[in-house]
Amino acid sequence: MLKDYILATSIEEALVCLKTYAGQARIIAGGTDAMLDLSAKKITTSCLLDITKVKELKKIESMDGQIVIGAAVTHSEVKNSDLIRTKAPLLAEASGSVGSLQIRNTATVVGNVVNAQPAADAAVALMALGAVVEITEDAGTSYVPIEEMYLGVGKSKVDSTKQMATSIRFPALLPGQGSAFVRLAQRGALALPMLNVAVVLSLCEDKVEWVRIVMAPVAPKPLRALEAEKYLQGAVINDELIAKAAKIAVSEATPRDSALRGSAEYRKEMLEVLVRRALQQALTTAR
Amino acid sequence: MKKDYTVVGKNIRKLDAIEKAMGAATFTTDIKLPGMLYGKVLRSPYPHARIVKIDTSKAEALPGVKAVATYLNTPRVKFNTSATSTFTIPPLQPVEDQYVFDSVVRYVGDEVAAVAATSKKVAEEALELIEVEYELLPTVFDPLAAMKEEAPSLHHCEAGKNVPGEKIHIEMGDIELGFAEADYVFEHTFKLPVQKQAQMETQAAVAQVSVDGKVTVWSTTQTPHPSRRILATIFGLPYSKVRVLNPPYIGGGFGVRIGLSAKAEPIALALAMLAKQPVKVVYDRKEDFIASDTRHSGYVTVKTGVKKDGTFTARKIMGILNSGAYCSWSAETPGVLGAMGLSIYYCPNQMYDGHSVYTNTTPAGAMRGFGNPQGMFAVDSQVDIIAEELGMDPMEIRRKNIMRPGLPWVLPYPCQSSGLEECMDLGAKAIVWDQRGKQNQDSDTIRRGIGMAIGTHVSNAWPFCGDYSNAYVTVQQDGSIQVASGVPDMGTGTITTLSQMAAEVMGIAFGQVGITFADTESTPFEIGSHASRTCYASGTAVVAAAQDARKQVFEYAANMLEVTPGELDIENGIIYSTLTQEKNISLGQVAMEAHLRGQQFIGVGRIIPQNAPPYLAHFAEVEVDTETGKVRVTKMVAAHDVGKAIHPLIVEGQLEGGLAMGIGYALSEEIKYDDRGRQLNNGFHKYMLPTAMDIPELEAIIVEAEDPTGPFGAKGVGETGLVATAAAIANAVYDAIGIRFFEIPLTEERVYRALKERK
Amino acid sequence: MQKKILKFKLNGELMELLVSPSDTLVDVVRDKLGLTGTKKGCGKGECGACTVIMNGQSVNSCIVPAMQAMDAEVETIEGIGTSDKMHPLQETFIDYGAIQCGFCTPGMIMSAKALLDGNLSPSRLQIKETIAGNICRCTGYVKIEQAVLAAADKLKASKDK
Ligand SMILES: Cc1cc2nc3c(=O)[nH]c(=O)nc-3n(C[C@@H](O)[C@@H](O)[C@H](O)COP(=O)(O)OP(=O)(O)OC[C@H]3O[C@@H](n4cnc5c(N)ncnc54)[C@H](O)[C@@H]3O)c2cc1C
Ligand code: FES
Ligand code: FES
Repeated sequence: MLKDYILATSIEEALVCLKTYAGQARIIAGGTDAMLDLSAKKITTSCLLDITKVKELKKIESMDGQIVIGAAVTHSEVKNSDLIRTKAPLLAEASGSVGSLQIRNTATVVGNVVNAQPAADAAVALMALGAVVEITEDAGTSYVPIEEMYLGVGKSKVDSTKQMATSIRFPALLPGQGSAFVRLAQRGALALPMLNVAVVLSLCEDKVEWVRIVMAPVAPKPLRALEAEKYLQGAVINDELIAKAAKIAVSEATPRDSALRGSAEYRKEMLEVLVRRALQQALTTAR
Repeated sequence: MKKDYTVVGKNIRKLDAIEKAMGAATFTTDIKLPGMLYGKVLRSPYPHARIVKIDTSKAEALPGVKAVATYLNTPRVKFNTSATSTFTIPPLQPVEDQYVFDSVVRYVGDEVAAVAATSKKVAEEALELIEVEYELLPTVFDPLAAMKEEAPSLHHCEAGKNVPGEKIHIEMGDIELGFAEADYVFEHTFKLPVQKQAQMETQAAVAQVSVDGKVTVWSTTQTPHPSRRILATIFGLPYSKVRVLNPPYIGGGFGVRIGLSAKAEPIALALAMLAKQPVKVVYDRKEDFIASDTRHSGYVTVKTGVKKDGTFTARKIMGILNSGAYCSWSAETPGVLGAMGLSIYYCPNQMYDGHSVYTNTTPAGAMRGFGNPQGMFAVDSQVDIIAEELGMDPMEIRRKNIMRPGLPWVLPYPCQSSGLEECMDLGAKAIVWDQRGKQNQDSDTIRRGIGMAIGTHVSNAWPFCGDYSNAYVTVQQDGSIQVASGVPDMGTGTITTLSQMAAEVMGIAFGQVGITFADTESTPFEIGSHASRTCYASGTAVVAAAQDARKQVFEYAANMLEVTPGELDIENGIIYSTLTQEKNISLGQVAMEAHLRGQQFIGVGRIIPQNAPPYLAHFAEVEVDTETGKVRVTKMVAAHDVGKAIHPLIVEGQLEGGLAMGIGYALSEEIKYDDRGRQLNNGFHKYMLPTAMDIPELEAIIVEAEDPTGPFGAKGVGETGLVATAAAIANAVYDAIGIRFFEIPLTEERVYRALKERK
Repeated sequence: MQKKILKFKLNGELMELLVSPSDTLVDVVRDKLGLTGTKKGCGKGECGACTVIMNGQSVNSCIVPAMQAMDAEVETIEGIGTSDKMHPLQETFIDYGAIQCGFCTPGMIMSAKALLDGNLSPSRLQIKETIAGNICRCTGYVKIEQAVLAAADKLKASKDK
């Protein structure tokens, strides 16, 4: 039963609070997932610890080629940030596709990752960016690659009753690098993705230096198409290779039947289209 | 009536708009009364079960709980949540198949019990304390399966296994002869989805019982008078002791509350009687989805005989609709499907057979179009198939066969006006019909297409159902007038339109009209807002009342001016002789003079409306992504013969809103069920109704083929906006990719699968 | 349950009241403060009927924890115009036929206001994106979009004066 609501003003204060409540308090950011989960009794807690007023968490910064997004930064702020739009346009695209403007105005990017849904739009883009989550707790700070953040559907490595994901960081895209975020949804807004795909691709001369392809929801968490990535690495890319890579990517995915958002079979076939389109788009922006 | 109107036909500021724009308009969900309790409903988790035991003692013991209602302590009077009992004319009998609460539940969401408590939270908590033991019963979800011998019977039925009410049969000419005369016969079956009204304000009611037993219910009903009848019957009260009203606004309707607002009213009232305190019941969005009427899903088969030159010789339609667990409007809807599906084209030999079938799903009832969009998706998809087979242009085959005034049809009233051909021509021009079939290269991934479809509808429910209207127009002592009509204004502009008509007839400024509406206590009986009837039928009553008042005024004024009433006219509130202009007097002077001598002019309008066919032609332009199957409507043109647009902006709004709903019906809206009878799409995030991002350019074209039976020539409009939308879009998709769909919605997956199968 | 003190500015007026930790902003505005202009269509962030402006941005008040409004400036439909001086959006919504049942209207106007407060020359697409989280089942959105464009013009004209 919820008994208290605390507005933290600093990270330290928040950590002290988590400690005092000893597992009975839970971090809340935008609340767009947490408020619904609370009223559906999917989560229970005695105290909500609100981190949206913590100034240090509200920043989008660039440091030594890394972009750092604080835990209180919303999807809208990311979408409208010039820094993100130029240095990680796929994330601006992904955050911009979340729910609706009202949702994006409150929902946070970090919350999107911590909530650990397999097709969370920003999380999918962040994985393609090779993002790392900064986790702070009483014992200290650790850095966890986003791929290791998932313990299962809706289950994050961060225990929101004891730890705080304070920020998420990733390398800014450089010249010669391109990216894309594509999404298939049943309507133009307020629709969770049937599929989403994010690609970051680095060209060296004409060759693919490296590429990251992330697909969702085709596994319990956003899934890297490692085989397809390997296939493209070092290659001089063209439409044929892209088509082949898309096929390989599909063979790595195991989408499920969703009564709401498409059969496994349809999703599989669409995945090929989306991966192909994302690769093509990433290639165009890299050149 | 004179031709140069001063108020009618003008885009006057809507009477309700200022309050609504300011956030000052009151809706049922906004009401708060002193001592008011909050009601919450316990709903069945099972699609079919008998309640073996129900123990409410723990819930009753919870502090703050004031009443718990179940089938054990509420009236055992059967009713129908829809207004059918008010409308059904003998020898037909209304189907009354439900109680406020029953010992058997028949769909997931069916009412088991309700609690009234001092807060919503306490009421919700109390629901969890009610202990219910269920005995599960066999279930059936598909209407075709439910007609089989082995299916469980949901209710006692006379007409056939699980068939509520009557089977509808309509016939004209000699159907066998018609098919024999045909050069070709086409037969196709179409499958229709469950669509949801999804009006923005959920079902809601506030019930109050005074110390002397008088009942007042504020609710979201579209039909206060028929709703009063249902409540009075259930609770055994004289009609005169029950007042039902809107407060005064309703957040949309689209048919979902023609009659009760699902069961919000009787549940609120039952609780209020038990608790002896006012009770408010507001459905949450999920309840609104799972436990309040939907559009009928089902199957429609169309068989058409046609000559080589494209002339129809015979048409037979069969409809089987899914009623869900209770009847609601399921006896009537198949009838409108057939009647409208047959009467859009002239064809000498026609037949329709149709009915609904009970299943263990959410009841289906009225939704904008009332069977007609289902039928027209089938009929006008098939007309395109026929045109293609015969090598004819879809416009031409329609031009050849459309119904025209004076021709016979199956409807029991004459067709006296039609602007259909003009609608077709104007629409074709706006969409640039000539481009059809010429927009794609073979290599295009995104393919474009254009399609059209046509339709008609009713302007009220007569003579299918009882339908009549009453209204008062009372001249106030200063010459302003007060209109009283029992219809609600659910956003359709009713009060503005009715006031315009009254002002026009009375010859006064619009600002001089006040209106009382949607209240059984201050208005005479009036069916309410449904069947696209409000402007047409309630309007006719208001016009009649105004004419009556005007006549009284003229008689009185004639005496004062020493002229004959016949030579009088009125403009801008000044009554004058058409023979000698100097003889004039203001309406206010006449009214005051009459007042001083002990008289008020009270006009009464009592009418049984006739009926008239509105017509429409819809044109869609689409893009199909052949790699994903995604269909995007890029433009919609809707040309409508509305008879006379009393308020063109309101008319356009009705058409655009209908189109948007029709686009949803065609492309994305569907409620599906899992194998345990639970709705999968039970909220706005899962039910894909269009957002602003999904709506293309909409062009509404108004054509005015005035009908002699309508007020100022007006015909029904409210439902027409989506009658042919789905067929037009499906026909456009065919033009784009050459694939014909026999089922909607045209989701990306359905379209993709078809594309793949063709490969 | 511990009641918390919530202080915030509502339509320019300082408010101080006790709320429960589980209260949402819409509960406070509608039930506690009696401003029923803000509507509730779903309670889950899925329809926009409850849209209010918080610190300049449109939010779904049904899923914003009430406490999150601490020290914030909140605007609701009741605060943006008076009957003798309506907000241009209120005027154009009326005049362009953008209001039917009116249940989506307050939320719709608040979404649009948040946009126009920062941008007087929005494109049609920007308007669509702005109101995409506001479901309207009555109008088909076209007249709403036209009304927002017209209000932008009005505001621009009065600013240029
Ligand atoms: C109508 C609607 C539509 C949506 N559409 C989409 C969509 O299209 N795509 C999409 O990806 N998502 C969508 N979402 C979900 C999206 O809003 C969330 O995933 C959001 O990004 C989560 O951020 P938040 O700040 O609201 O998190 P909250 O709800 O505050 O928190 C989410 C969870 O993470 C924990 N948490 C949050 N921040 C931290 C932190 N810093 N440290 C530790 N724990 C933390 C909380 O305890 C909670 O368990 C939608 C939601 C709604 C209501
Ligand atoms: S009521 Fe808040 S979004 Fe629907
Ligand atoms: S006007 Fe009714 S929902 Fe928008």
